Amino acid sequence: MKIVCLVKFISDVANFLYDYEKNVLVRENVKLILNPDDACALAFALEVKARRPDTFVEIVTMAPASVLPLVEDLLRRNADRAVIISDRLFSGSDTYVTSKIIARYLENTEYDIILTGTHSLDGDTSHVPSQVAELLKMEQMSNIVRVYDESLQGKTVIVEADTDKTISKYEIALPCILSIGKDSKYKLPFVRYKDLELDVNDRVSVIKNENLSFSEAEVGLQGSLTKVKRTFARKLQSKEKTVVCNDEEGIETVYNFLKSKGFV
Amino acid sequence: MKKSLIYLDEEDIQSSIDLLEAVRQIYRDECYETYAFCFNQPIEAAECKFNYVFSVRDNMLQGCDIVNLTNCLEELHRTYLFDSILIPASYQGRMLAPRLAMRLGVGLVADVTRIEYNDGELEMVRPAFSGKLFAGVTNKNCSPVMMSVRPNVFTYTSKHLKDTKIIPFHPVSLQPSKIKLLEAKEKERAKDIRESEILVSGGGGAAHHFDWLYQLADELNGMVSASRRVVDSGIAGRSIQVGQSGKTVSPRLYIALGIYGSLQHMEGLKNVESIISVNINRNAPICSLSDIVVEGDSKEFIEKLLTKIRNSKKNKDMEAER
Repeated sequence: MKIVCLVKFISDVANFLYDYEKNVLVRENVKLILNPDDACALAFALEVKARRPDTFVEIVTMAPASVLPLVEDLLRRNADRAVIISDRLFSGSDTYVTSKIIARYLENTEYDIILTGTHSLDGDTSHVPSQVAELLKMEQMSNIVRVYDESLQGKTVIVEADTDKTISKYEIALPCILSIGKDSKYKLPFVRYKDLELDVNDRVSVIKNENLSFSEAEVGLQGSLTKVKRTFARKLQSKEKTVVCNDEEGIETVYNFLKSKGFV
Repeated sequence: MKKSLIYLDEEDIQSSIDLLEAVRQIYRDECYETYAFCFNQPIEAAECKFNYVFSVRDNMLQGCDIVNLTNCLEELHRTYLFDSILIPASYQGRMLAPRLAMRLGVGLVADVTRIEYNDGELEMVRPAFSGKLFAGVTNKNCSPVMMSVRPNVFTYTSKHLKDTKIIPFHPVSLQPSKIKLLEAKEKERAKDIRESEILVSGGGGAAHHFDWLYQLADELNGMVSASRRVVDSGIAGRSIQVGQSGKTVSPRLYIALGIYGSLQHMEGLKNVESIISVNINRNAPICSLSDIVVEGDSKEFIEKLLTKIRNSKKNKDMEAER
């Protein structure tokens, strides 16, 4: 069977610095990482492949070509092929356009199932999996915590999803898009020592707009239906505050405050 | 007359109804009508609040069947031509909204937390980069304007009662479902931190003595919550996380112990009446939003405050006995 893993490389937001003087994000030297939920999705695909060697795992990502070393690292973990969809024309695309671009590539690709992550740490709109599914006319489900991979052999797949209030089990017709959640705890395998320097170059292809033939007006900032007008940091409003220490007087102040408000 | 449709999520009716406030902020003084989409559930909750309620009763339609829900909403839109469609950013809504936007060929803004106007143009504000930044997003001339709205951010308070008309809706666009619910297990639901009036919340500075927070919370009859840093390090569960990637809370009292107050955290605090923060760094961002700042160690603070509260109680009891 063939599994496509749709993944995204993001800026490592946890290590973002914010310049409170200038009110800007420090973007220099921010490295890219594989989005954690997407890593879970790929990890599951590689687990399936480990159990059933006839499984073919293809990684698809839309990204600047500079992600190549990161993609190569994933291939060394035993993925079979990687496709980087990358074109200058695509930069600035919103989720609507991004989904169209990815779906057009997938329309001409064979697969039995598509896996993605649920949330991304950067934009976190979760639009792309649902919108690609809409364009490919298939089901999509988010926040999946378990895939019963033995069920993958048939015409449907059985999954467990965390729906916020419940843990629910569903049967979904194949092909479909399963968006894996972080609580699934699927973990990427390490690169084996002997594969550290493995040449995987012949397993990566770059897809450009020549292959997908969008007009310039359909993609990028021009084709996008939403536009980020401005970004800003939230200005926090200061309160009149009392500053005290951890001494008798301080505790007395806190206690009296709690008492005056009826909390004790 | 503008027309706005709100999707009522069966799992969270109240948050869905609260989107009426977002609609009010979009149209302000303009004339507008509100429509609710309500399926396989009693419509009472929406009555007197919306102008119209589409009531759908069809056993073929299930909450997990996002494709057929999209079909229904598309069918309605083709008939009524809404100017805006708002969907709560719930588990279901977050799958439904993008699909519907693609179907209708319109832009979608996710997780909107604020409505603003800039030079007369509607701007939907949403957090980005885990709440480190906010983005004001506009829609390029497409109709309907579509957004998913973060629950617990808007509150509908109007006392004005509407004469709600019920419109029975019999969709013709349903197709055989490709998804089946086999089993649903309610999650063990400890009380939700969103329902607590008092939150004792711990951050990185309280990570090493997190257990102590429960004692203070018990004494105050509140609940314990945590910052992302504590949750990411595995000390507390995701369900009690406050912030952009956690929950938005509105307690009357928020005691922040060893919490720095990153933007992503502050985004999770809405309409909090009082904040007391305990921090060894009195210049931590959260301190500027606090009513009282205690400069010092959070464990020491808990110990001392507990003693104070318990002693006062004891004294009171003794007085009562006399």
